[in-house]
Amino acid sequence: MASDLLSIARSGVQAARIGLDITAQNIANASATGYVRRSASFSEVASSGGAYRIGDLSLSGVRLDRIVRNADAFRQAEVRRTGSDVARASAEASGLGNIESAIEQSGAYNAIVDFESSLQQLTQDPVDTALRAAVMEKARTMTGTFRIAAQEMDAAGEGLRFLASDGVTQVNRISSELARTNTRLSRASDASSDKTALLDQRDRLLEELSQYGNIATGFAVDGTVAVKLGGTTGPDLVTGGTAASLALATAADGTISFELDSAPLALAGGSLSGQQLALDKLAQLKIDVDTLAGSIVSTFNAAQAGGADLDGAPGAAIFSGTSAATIDLAQTDGRKLATAAAGSVAGSRDASNLTAIRSALAGIDPAGGMDGILFDVSSTLAGRNVTLGALQTIAGTAKVALSAQSGVDLDQEAVNLVRFQQAFQASGRVMQAASDIFDTLLGIG
Amino acid sequence: MSTIFGTSTSAFYERSLSDLKSLRKQAEELQSELSSGERLQRSSDDPVAASRLRRLARIDVLDQIDETAANRATSDLTLADNALTQFATTVTRLQELATQAASGTLSDAQRAGIGAEVRQLHQNLVGLANSRDSSGHALFGGENAADAYTLDAAGNATYAGTATAGTLALGDGQSVARGLTGPEFLQFTSGGAPADLLAVAKTLADALESGAGGAAAANSALSALGDGLDAITTAQTVVGSRLNWIDLTVERRVSLSELRTAEQTEIGATDLTENIARLQNTMLVLEASQASFSRLANLSLFSVLN
Repeated sequence: MASDLLSIARSGVQAARIGLDITAQNIANASATGYVRRSASFSEVASSGGAYRIGDLSLSGVRLDRIVRNADAFRQAEVRRTGSDVARASAEASGLGNIESAIEQSGAYNAIVDFESSLQQLTQDPVDTALRAAVMEKARTMTGTFRIAAQEMDAAGEGLRFLASDGVTQVNRISSELARTNTRLSRASDASSDKTALLDQRDRLLEELSQYGNIATGFAVDGTVAVKLGGTTGPDLVTGGTAASLALATAADGTISFELDSAPLALAGGSLSGQQLALDKLAQLKIDVDTLAGSIVSTFNAAQAGGADLDGAPGAAIFSGTSAATIDLAQTDGRKLATAAAGSVAGSRDASNLTAIRSALAGIDPAGGMDGILFDVSSTLAGRNVTLGALQTIAGTAKVALSAQSGVDLDQEAVNLVRFQQAFQASGRVMQAASDIFDTLLGIG
Repeated sequence: MSTIFGTSTSAFYERSLSDLKSLRKQAEELQSELSSGERLQRSSDDPVAASRLRRLARIDVLDQIDETAANRATSDLTLADNALTQFATTVTRLQELATQAASGTLSDAQRAGIGAEVRQLHQNLVGLANSRDSSGHALFGGENAADAYTLDAAGNATYAGTATAGTLALGDGQSVARGLTGPEFLQFTSGGAPADLLAVAKTLADALESGAGGAAAANSALSALGDGLDAITTAQTVVGSRLNWIDLTVERRVSLSELRTAEQTEIGATDLTENIARLQNTMLVLEASQASFSRLANLSLFSVLN
């Protein structure tokens, strides 16, 4: 039986070598993204005796059963789901942050207040050309800030649409890579290191994909994955070796929508969904700001038409334009402000139409309107920031839970290193023993 | 920092990193609040407080306009008050001259001499009635842009202004009439009949210069002049009470603006003591975290195994 002892020891040495290799591989990849800790699963090689040979002992050592990938499908799914939520919330929050800055930093609110106050100051002496010029300059500043706000909001929208279109490109790239990975997975043999690497790649791609949209996954026995975009009820993105193609459509108001193989698609997570939400909010805010600018123009001009200017002529329109982007001054001469009642003589100190203009403006309360818009965007953003914080905590926990289970713990690998090294040495000792036994047997003769 | 039991090495580093990063971020936020002195860096930090701050800032801007309005009203009314004092001095002088002229001991020629001075005083009165306010408009002409009184060929003064003086808004719905119109203190009732101070002076000058019946005219003018002086002093009282009213609204505005500033500070300003304490606390935690991180990161089984 001594030759058997040697072969048992040889299989033990081999197993220990494999264990050391795997440990070394784990240590080397300790900080590689998406690497899942491998462990070797060994099984005994033994055969039971056949008929009439019940007492026989047939031990043939150990063999590598398979290499275990320590990945938990549930934890991975949690990481994808929560990561998708965080990507949505952070894309929306960063978009809203840009929109908030666009409106707030334009200084439109202060410019409106200054315009109002210059009109109030004009009541002290309606024929003072310096005060009239001040009103026109404040009006010019106000129209300028409205235009800046409109431009900045357009720029914020452009940025969001650019990110969304890049996201769509990424989704298409990842889905075609996933389809390729699926094809290779269906061909790879089970438990090969080729397959574990492919599975790593598959999981990494899925995690990457979940950053752009919420996905639902279904795994086949051979490790291939079927991906649905937009949740479990969504359309198929990847099935086997084929991937559908995602497209982005931009509406006239700047909002975006998605199509998967020409069918409309609703996303509930991922950065694409966040950008879509932020663009929806932007479209609403743009309408609000445009309405405010338009109402200032029409209200002021209507009230202006009911009076006479400093030269006794009927009040001409001071503002032109209908939206925040087009609002401008139609007159630049302060004498054109119709402060006096209609039909007054030139140079009249009558301020009745100025009072009418001011009360008409107070009726639409432009400062209050702008404050409302600012409050709308800032409170939405503040709410999203709170949500984002909570989602980040949840996603962080999910990520740590996954990496605690699938990541490499160097301390544990150090222990494994020692353990396999000892196993190797022990198997060596077995060989030594086999050799000694053989020598002893030879010595008898 | 949570326990590292049962976690992978990369998870340990990742978690330590995110903990240290969040502590650093907190410290930086506190620092920027300290250095800017403002609690809110952008509206979304606290939307409600930001909205309140915007409204308070708007009230502040409008309040400054009210302040200049109050200053303007004060200077206009003070100018009116000074003019009224001069009116009173002139009328008193007219009374002296009328008393002299009413004396029977004077000759007609002497009365004519007095008449010349009365005519001069009449010119002064017209000039005073046409005074200008701080922005160059007629002080006693209501909202008229030109002179308050015009003289015809015969020297008769006619009021050309509007019926009432303009009002200035002082904020919070309060307003004040910024001046007086000429007729408000130059027209009065004397002996049951309406009289006009400028007309009385003109008539007196005419009567004295003409020579005949000067003493009687001066006698009848005396009572009218007395009533005119009463009208002027009444007007001065009105102006004085309006100035008082402006002072009251100014006081009210100052106290309101103090309240506003207090609210602004409360909502928007950094509480230095609290902030410094919190910063100190955060820095301490950050330092401790860094120290314990470097200790834990050094703990490797590889360094123990030989």
